[in-house]
Amino acid sequence: MGVRKSDIVLLDDKGIRCDGRKIDEPRNIMIKAGVLKNANGSAYIEFGENKILAGVFGPRDVHPKHLANTDRGILRCRYHMEPFSVSERKNPAPSRREIEISKVIKEALEPAVMLENFPRTVVDVYIEVLQADGGSRCAALDAAAVALADAGIPMRDMVSACAAGKVADTIVLDINNEEDQEGQADMPVAYMPNLEKVTLLQLDGVLTPAEYKKCVETAINGCKIVYEIQKKALKEKFFGDSPQ
Amino acid sequence: MNTPIIDDLKKKKILALLKDGQRVDGRALDEARPLIIDTGVIPKAEGSARVRLGDTEIVCGVKIQPDKPFPDLGDRGIFICTAEILPLADPNVETGPPNEEVIELARVVDRGVRESGMIDLTKLVLVKDKSVIGIFVDNTVTDYDGNLFDACSYASVASILSCKVPKWEIKNDAPSLVPDSASAPPITTIPVSVTMGKIADTIIVDPNADEWKCMDGRITITTNSAGNICAVQKGGEDGFTFEQLIKCSELSISTGAKIREILKQVPGGDKC
Amino acid sequence: MDDIKRKYVIPGDVITTGPYRAEENVNLVGDRMIATTVGISEIYDSGVRVIPLTGMYVPRIDDFIIGIVKSHTSLSWELDMRSCYPGILPAQDVFGRDFNPKVDDLTSRLKKGDLVAARIVNFDRSRDPLITIGDRDLGKIEEGELIKISPSKVPRLIGKRGSMIQAIESATKALITIGQNGYIVVSCEEPEGLLKALDAIRMIEEQAHVPNLTEKIQEMLGSNSE
Repeated sequence: MGVRKSDIVLLDDKGIRCDGRKIDEPRNIMIKAGVLKNANGSAYIEFGENKILAGVFGPRDVHPKHLANTDRGILRCRYHMEPFSVSERKNPAPSRREIEISKVIKEALEPAVMLENFPRTVVDVYIEVLQADGGSRCAALDAAAVALADAGIPMRDMVSACAAGKVADTIVLDINNEEDQEGQADMPVAYMPNLEKVTLLQLDGVLTPAEYKKCVETAINGCKIVYEIQKKALKEKFFGDSPQ
Repeated sequence: MNTPIIDDLKKKKILALLKDGQRVDGRALDEARPLIIDTGVIPKAEGSARVRLGDTEIVCGVKIQPDKPFPDLGDRGIFICTAEILPLADPNVETGPPNEEVIELARVVDRGVRESGMIDLTKLVLVKDKSVIGIFVDNTVTDYDGNLFDACSYASVASILSCKVPKWEIKNDAPSLVPDSASAPPITTIPVSVTMGKIADTIIVDPNADEWKCMDGRITITTNSAGNICAVQKGGEDGFTFEQLIKCSELSISTGAKIREILKQVPGGDKC
Repeated sequence: MDDIKRKYVIPGDVITTGPYRAEENVNLVGDRMIATTVGISEIYDSGVRVIPLTGMYVPRIDDFIIGIVKSHTSLSWELDMRSCYPGILPAQDVFGRDFNPKVDDLTSRLKKGDLVAARIVNFDRSRDPLITIGDRDLGKIEEGELIKISPSKVPRLIGKRGSMIQAIESATKALITIGQNGYIVVSCEEPEGLLKALDAIRMIEEQAHVPNLTEKIQEMLGSNSE
């Protein structure tokens, strides 16, 4: 609501960002596994101001049947924003942006899920953005990966996601909403932390080759921070309060 | 939503218990499940609530923004209430455009709030016939355990009671936001919806998912703070006798009064 | 856990490295043994495996299961058994070889919502698992109450050589029928015994990872009866 460009100092001379963070510091992240009763697996994440629910069903029968694959199971993914999740009420019908994000999230999870043992089935991942902030696709992915593990879908590795970007000519970790709008580049990254593979990479903005390298490195470091929080959420659910 | 199956032994147990006036979860026939309301859960929305009615869970958000009035209602603001069953709420939900069941849900919830006159829409006019304030209430079902009508209704009412209406001034013929001057909404009454199921001529209040699958008929009655009836929706395959309809109206008033006490504890709920 | 070779794992966790055989729920990457599901990892002899704590029921031939009839065609019933695939019960299995789809009405024997104790006859993932009720102790379940737990926790409910289930049955006088798919039917003449048995099963579902669970359950059953 009406914060003008000139009002924001994205990075001050002490290296502190507009929300008080250091350049390599993520926003507050909280993940809880197993929050829904009916879904086979679920997770809730708060990532900055993002509040996102993910629910997983399956492997289960595919409807319509012609979508089924006789060699392996398929993964379906729906990223959806609630009408009240953004400042101006959003039309409840899926937008082109939501459809694209659904696709890139699915493709970021696919390398991790092992569906070759479940031919003719589908795993459905439903992501509901209750409140949106910058970096909602990464937060959505983080919740979806925890929900998949909660559902017991076999996975080669976790998938952890975090963005990096360029703000005031500096590469910083985990772009927030203001930095996304006023900054110079935004790069969401998803990463399998043990297999060391990047499964989602997008970039909006201009980077030099050196900045590009720095930005990917910074985002991967962020993914590793997220990974520890995902692990903690799953261990808390399955192994009680004192995980070890 | 596809009709989920209930195992036959559970159904027999529900029917056998009801013959003795008992329910499968130990509740009295006229007893609603525990109602838990948290407001302000979506800070970016002007009002919001997460409501749990038993294991049914709703997240509701209110967005308030300037809009054009409906052509024939230029002297009042806009109120629109929707409901959606999210696919993660239940394995039987299908994605895609809403089906008739979901549309009925949204309309019944909308009607209860609208017909009670809960919000004085005449106080939401910026320029008559040109510019008004719109209140959009969106319910999303996140977990399903029956009786979405009441759960969505309580979530809507709690979100509206606790919302803050921003202030707009007309500048250059367009509404312009006045920062930091939001105020409480113009509330006149607290509508409470009570849904009852009929299973083999026994009337039960607030059926859970298992009871819902055994129901022959259902009725949703909304009452206002004065104890008057302001909206009704009968559904299901079987009919109700006149005596049953009277009994249902009495139940909706007595049970509704208890629920209204819970809603009055919501921030902004003490005004009525 | 007191056994040092066991630990709690989530997908992606490296259980160990070196020359081991990757068994259930373990993926070999280079020389790293990586867990693919949430569970308890075990290293024994030369093998590594993960006992899962969550997940769908994957049918295995000869498994005893409990299913709920969800639909039928003119030739077979389809059962929900909390698996990735529905169970198929052919009409011939129930009506015998003389089955005639023009004469025999499938709903006269089993209808939607009926609970059935059955065994998996055939399953190879290319087709839906075939089940039978043509054996002793199999067929329609006429009484009791269905409770659903995660299939991965069924071994815990049974306990070592049936110790856990025997403890519950003798303390509550309930009769408990356990499907490998996590559907369990409990029947008991005394309503209190029924409730206690259901509570015990729920407690096992929630605390399956906790050591010495049998003692805890015995304690709970004992203290409740006083």
